[in-house]
Amino acid sequence: MNTKTPSAATEALISVRNMSKSFKDFEALRDITLDVNRSEVVCLIGPSGSGKSTLLRCLNFLEAYDTGEVRLEGELIGWQEGTAQPRRRVAAGTLRRQRQHIGMVFQQFNLWPHLTALENVAEALIQVKGLGKKAAQDAAMAALTKVHLSDKAQNHPANLSGGQQQRVAIARAIAMEPRVMLFDEPTSALDPELVGEVLTVMKEMAAEGMTMVVVTHEMGFAAHVADRVAFLDKGRLVTLAPPADIFGREPDDPRVRSFLQTYRERNVV
Amino acid sequence: MELDLFVRYGPDLLRGFGVTILCWIVGSVGGLLLGFAIACLYRWSIRPVRWIIDLYVELIRGTPFMIQLFILYYGGPYLGLVLTPVQAGILSFIVYGSPYFAEIFRSGFNAVPKGQIEAARCVGLSEARIMRRIILPQMLVPITAPLTNFIIILSKETAILSVVTVPELLYETQTMAAETFTYIEPFLVLSLFYWLMVIVTSWLGGRVEARVTRHLKRT
Ligand SMILES: Nc1ncnc2c1ncn2[C@@H]1O[C@H](COP(=O)(O)OP(=O)(O)OP(=O)(O)O)[C@@H](O)[C@H]1O
Ligand SMILES: [Mg+2]
Repeated sequence: MNTKTPSAATEALISVRNMSKSFKDFEALRDITLDVNRSEVVCLIGPSGSGKSTLLRCLNFLEAYDTGEVRLEGELIGWQEGTAQPRRRVAAGTLRRQRQHIGMVFQQFNLWPHLTALENVAEALIQVKGLGKKAAQDAAMAALTKVHLSDKAQNHPANLSGGQQQRVAIARAIAMEPRVMLFDEPTSALDPELVGEVLTVMKEMAAEGMTMVVVTHEMGFAAHVADRVAFLDKGRLVTLAPPADIFGREPDDPRVRSFLQTYRERNVV
Repeated sequence: MELDLFVRYGPDLLRGFGVTILCWIVGSVGGLLLGFAIACLYRWSIRPVRWIIDLYVELIRGTPFMIQLFILYYGGPYLGLVLTPVQAGILSFIVYGSPYFAEIFRSGFNAVPKGQIEAARCVGLSEARIMRRIILPQMLVPITAPLTNFIIILSKETAILSVVTVPELLYETQTMAAETFTYIEPFLVLSLFYWLMVIVTSWLGGRVEARVTRHLKRT
């Protein structure tokens, strides 16, 4: 097989190589190497401040990583290809094109409150994908149907529950037909009784073969839906293993053990 | 009160009022646009450009309007910029107002939560689109009141234009007072005119505010 263009089936969709990121003097991520395969669900877990959000935000260049590489289908994200130092950012238009293929869902939903649910989803379809108004509305409606919210299309975010808002945010992302979806604690801002509806939608997406990277404190979701679980601590990727290896038996790494211990004590797992 | 005085000077006063309104409105709109451009430039620029903008803002805010007007009107010709009094008045008004408008816009930008802008970037919206579709519609709510306020303040600053012989309201009123040796009546009328501008502006501002906050009231 040609090593330069490996077949789609074996090539990792996202490939992170020796990636590091510092904020001033503080090293938030150190030497992260991680592959995410097509249709794989990878959950990121770890203590607060361990760098989970930062890692996720480096994947779509919301944070510019300092060294190393992040590639989506072989294309370097954010930085211009080549070895020249210091690296130069890609053009704004290029970054927008790259980001179109990476959907993101935030803890705080981040819907645009002055637009209806439908308008929230249709906005980028019109402005970025260049669809006509009607086509965009149809596509937006299809995305809302996927998250079981077709009946709330005309609501403004203020008139939706947290769970519904988060599902609109998911619809907004999937309407762009991204290659991968990033979730940053998508259920952490929700009342407990609303967590289920969002997780259900995410499980359906996973079952349909969506590639997903999910930062979560929902250990149940990580245990049952993830193909692999990554444990971060102090900016380092400590463990990357199938959930059975992490939740099923006593983990080898003491940091993972003590982290899960605190969860068990709170009866979360 | 001598009413025939007003019959005689009425046309002059009205013309002065017209000039005041002209300088005020063109100056305000111009300052608003320049201020918006400055705020956008600041938002999207690299650091050296920001320093230049900071310097400009400090310079304009740190000097009295009258001095700026003098410099432009009397100093302009040395730089080949020969202006009529009205032109100088309007131009200096635009320059004088721009940093204040820019500051209002900058606070408006900041009023939109960062996460909303990140979400827009994530779906690939361009910065210009984000400004037009996400930031502008939402920042209208917090900026309408300060904008109205500042435009009202500007309406009264027009009086300073009389020092470079712009034939505006105060200039005409002073002329009338000097020629007729009456003082109370002309200045009462003057106040009435300014008051009119203030009332109309704050009424308009209120209407705009009601409009832009409509979507927040939806239940
Ligand atoms: N913009 C920033 N400037 C400076 N420091 C930052 C910034 N963003 C994150 N950090 C720091 O980097 C570290 C990792 O932050 P990050 O948000 O990635 O953690 P996390 O694992 O997502 O935590 P949590 O579970 O609380 O969300 C933290 O110590 C944080 O204070
Ligand atoms: Mg986080």
